[in-house]
Amino acid sequence: VEPPLESPADEVTRLIDVLNELRGIMARPAVWTGGEPPRIVNTSLDALLRIANELEERVAQRTRELAIANEALRDSERNSRLVVDSIPGLVALLTAAGELEFVNHQILDYTGRTLEELKQWATSDTVHPEDHAHVAQVSSESFVSGRPYEMVHRLRRSDGVYRWFQNNSFPLRDTNDHIVGWCALLTDIEERKRAEDALRESERESRLIVDTIPGLVATLTPAGEVELVNNQVLEYCGRTLEELKQWGTSDTVHPEDLPRVIEIISQSIASGEPYEIEERIRRFDGVYRWFQVRGLPLRDSDGRIVRWYVLLTDIDARRRAEDALRANELNFRLTVDTIPGMVHTMTATGDIEFVNHQILDFLGKTIEELNNWVVLLHPDDRSRVVDHWRHSVATGDPFEAEHRVLCADGTYRWLQSRGLPLRDTSGSIVRWYNLLTDIDERKRAEEALRASEQNLKLIIDTIPAMAWSARPDGSAEFFNQHYLDFIGLSAEQASDWGWTAAVHPEEMNSLAATWQRIMASEAPGEAEARLRRHDGEYRWFLFRANPLRDAKGKIVNWYGINTDIEDRKRAEVDLRRAYDSFADAQRLSHTGNFTADIVAEEHVWSDELYRICEFDPGTKITTQWAREIIHPDDQPSFDAGFARSLDGADFDLTFRIVTRSGKVKHLHSIARMIDRVAGRPLFIGAIQDVTETKSAEEALNRARSELAHVGRVTTLSTLTASIAHEVNQPLSGIITNAGTCLRMLDADPPNVEGARETARRTIRDGHRASEVITRLRALFSKREFTLESLDLNEAIQEVIALSRSDFQRNRVVLQSELADGLPNVTGDRIQLQQVILNLLRNASDAMVDVHDRPRQLLIRTEREDEDRVRASVRDAGVGIDAQIMNKLFDAFYTTKSDGMGIGLSISRSIIERHHGRLWAEPNDGPGATFLLSIPCDAKRVAMNTAGE
Amino acid sequence: LRPALTVDAIAHMHWGFAMSERPLVAVVDDDISVRESLPDLLQQVGFAVQAFASAEAFLTSDAADATSCLVLDVGLPGMSGPDLQQELVRREKRVPIVFITAKGDKSLQPRLLAAGAVACLFKPFTDTALIEAVEAAVGMR
Repeated sequence: VEPPLESPADEVTRLIDVLNELRGIMARPAVWTGGEPPRIVNTSLDALLRIANELEERVAQRTRELAIANEALRDSERNSRLVVDSIPGLVALLTAAGELEFVNHQILDYTGRTLEELKQWATSDTVHPEDHAHVAQVSSESFVSGRPYEMVHRLRRSDGVYRWFQNNSFPLRDTNDHIVGWCALLTDIEERKRAEDALRESERESRLIVDTIPGLVATLTPAGEVELVNNQVLEYCGRTLEELKQWGTSDTVHPEDLPRVIEIISQSIASGEPYEIEERIRRFDGVYRWFQVRGLPLRDSDGRIVRWYVLLTDIDARRRAEDALRANELNFRLTVDTIPGMVHTMTATGDIEFVNHQILDFLGKTIEELNNWVVLLHPDDRSRVVDHWRHSVATGDPFEAEHRVLCADGTYRWLQSRGLPLRDTSGSIVRWYNLLTDIDERKRAEEALRASEQNLKLIIDTIPAMAWSARPDGSAEFFNQHYLDFIGLSAEQASDWGWTAAVHPEEMNSLAATWQRIMASEAPGEAEARLRRHDGEYRWFLFRANPLRDAKGKIVNWYGINTDIEDRKRAEVDLRRAYDSFADAQRLSHTGNFTADIVAEEHVWSDELYRICEFDPGTKITTQWAREIIHPDDQPSFDAGFARSLDGADFDLTFRIVTRSGKVKHLHSIARMIDRVAGRPLFIGAIQDVTETKSAEEALNRARSELAHVGRVTTLSTLTASIAHEVNQPLSGIITNAGTCLRMLDADPPNVEGARETARRTIRDGHRASEVITRLRALFSKREFTLESLDLNEAIQEVIALSRSDFQRNRVVLQSELADGLPNVTGDRIQLQQVILNLLRNASDAMVDVHDRPRQLLIRTEREDEDRVRASVRDAGVGIDAQIMNKLFDAFYTTKSDGMGIGLSISRSIIERHHGRLWAEPNDGPGATFLLSIPCDAKRVAMNTAGE
Repeated sequence: LRPALTVDAIAHMHWGFAMSERPLVAVVDDDISVRESLPDLLQQVGFAVQAFASAEAFLTSDAADATSCLVLDVGLPGMSGPDLQQELVRREKRVPIVFITAKGDKSLQPRLLAAGAVACLFKPFTDTALIEAVEAAVGMR
């Protein structure tokens, strides 16, 4: 007894098997032949029969149960077969053991065979003989394992042609999950198979190609899954295909690019459109490189996408270059937008490409408006600039132009435009970079400068001054025409230091020193020097120099102007001379002058007036002060005179003052009211210290008495002879004329006219004789001799001052060499001055006929020895014969036609009166020298004048 | 009408030669009144006269060779009268000289006469004295 089988059918089957086996046993003749079956046998047989019967019952029962159970199944199967028959495919039902049980009519139609024939497929040619083994193996494995199978095999069509079918089979299970049969579905895949074969063949070739081409290639399924990649991809990525299939979640694609890549691929997969992505893909060593990834769909004949082919191209180098370029361009734009200049680029063909903000702001235009940039050019510049630009575009020559453009504010401004071509490695121009510079101010400045330069040149060459410039080392660089014309040198001759040839030798050293000092000080400076004119005449110039400095303060040049100050210089000299003369004259004549506004207490006094009144120079004078020094006895007359002058009368008064030192001085004042200023009287006047004049009058008297003395010391005979000579000359004329007159009257006829003439001469000569007598009398009148301590130099200077005009008139050049520190001498000032004056006049007269040499007159003083001083007067005149040297000092000896010949004799007696000596010496050269020597104060010699 | 007596006629009567041939008298004196008065006087008596202010002026003039008589002042400025006398001797020009002088130095006269002077007159001299001296000098020639 075996345990019940799982299914009724199995149970039935097993029971039947057992029953059949049992029947077999019972039916075996060998067992049952030969006799009566033994009892046991019978018993066994009976048992067997019973069992058989039982079995038959159980079978019958079970079969009924089965039949009942299968009834429903059969209904269902029937339905299934109907369904199967209606399926437009080839369907077969197999038993659980794999026996062919049912086929739908599509199979029958296809194979042209009956079910029975088909059940013998394993031994027939229904299945292609080559496929038998495969089919048997796959199916039997499935039947044993109960798992569905799928296989492909060829099936013979009714016309004997084998076609490929896909055989999909799956088990049919009952409610107890027992397999009750198999359902096989055969799908004609001949077409597909062929296509696949072709595809596979092409794929194989493609794969070969793909694996051998030096590119990275991948294929995707229609759904976008990675299907295959070539070796290059594997090698590049260093990953397996399986790993690469996970690219969507790995770092194969650069994380930054991944979302974009996924999106693009998804869109393409959805739309079926090719895609192209640039993305970074990780190399085996972790480095990401840029790839261009292009996906193309492969479609079948029905247009369905079978597969995507993806080509990955390494564009890293290009990409980097582009990045760099982009960075450069970005940088460039940033740069050009931020640099404080105007930059734009032009295409190789000369069109506007890029313009920075500065230009746009400057022009007030948009970049679109600038496409027609030519209209912005000033009409006068347009053709020139455009031609130039065209030339540059055509030739690649750098572009540079200065032109005006219309600006945002509607004015034209000057720009400098400079363009340089950018070339690629092959040398072709890629674009032009242009820089615009606003040079308007420079341009205007240039124009102004040009105008001013022109102007300046005109000025420099026309101004009546001499302009020059010098280098920092002081050497001359430039002279204006006026300068060159003046000094009569060419620019070459004058340059550097050549011009100094024109400088007067006397100023050369001081001018050079001043120039060095000015350069050292680096400050403006001036100097005065004479310059020789082309004709040899020297004129005084004021040199003025100014340094020109660069931005660092370093001197780059000196500029100078020489102004002709000859007239000024002369005026200065004249003025100084006039002032000196005036001061000298005031001093010599002891005359001061003043202006006085009595009410306002404004007094202007000359220096000499201060000296006369013994006020400190510059002291503020008041009317009260001035009046207080007047001698009390003279104040009434002074006041009276002043009162009269207020009425307009001249003030002319001699009065005395008492100075602070107690000295009494006689002053002679002449003044008058010249104006009334704001009602106040304004006086001008002169005051002469006549104290000395008073003394001089007395001195004159003394001199006269001295002359009388001279007369006495001269021998009477000599005097007589001298007087006789002086008188005999006119007397001789008188007599001769008178005699002639008589002869003319006696002539026949009488020469009356001649007689008259001679008579007139007679009268004239008579007067002459009379004058001689008068002069003699004057000379011989008596005067006093007074002694004082005096400075011989000072006395001489006074004489020189008084004689100067005489010398000038006679064109005598007077030189004085008066020794310093000469001791005073004691003597009569007036007499000594008369001697000096006499010597000077003699010297001057001696040179009247000198024309071939300078009329040089030298007066000098010197200390002769311990107690004597010497004065000498040296002329360059006719000189003195040695023969007459001894006669010179005789009374009435003269070599002068109009001289009386007593000057030197009196001079000598005056000098001898001073215990001195007067003598003459011939010069080595022309002329003679007169010398006097007198004792000085130090060893005062008592002089007795009382007895004379 | 009788013909007027011309200077030439008088000269002819006196010396036998015409005015155009009148002897030349040179006057050398630095005094202007002498230079004015003497020529008038000498011309009045028929001489041709030239006056000079100095010895040097006379020497350098053309008159030096043509002079028949020299009226010479002693006290000339520069070259004196005696100096000129010496100079003429040195030059071998034997011009008769009449010295005139305003100085009363009588000692001078013999010296001058010894040196060859025709006369030595002291100023003031009479017209007659001078004319006689000059005529004497001219006659000596």
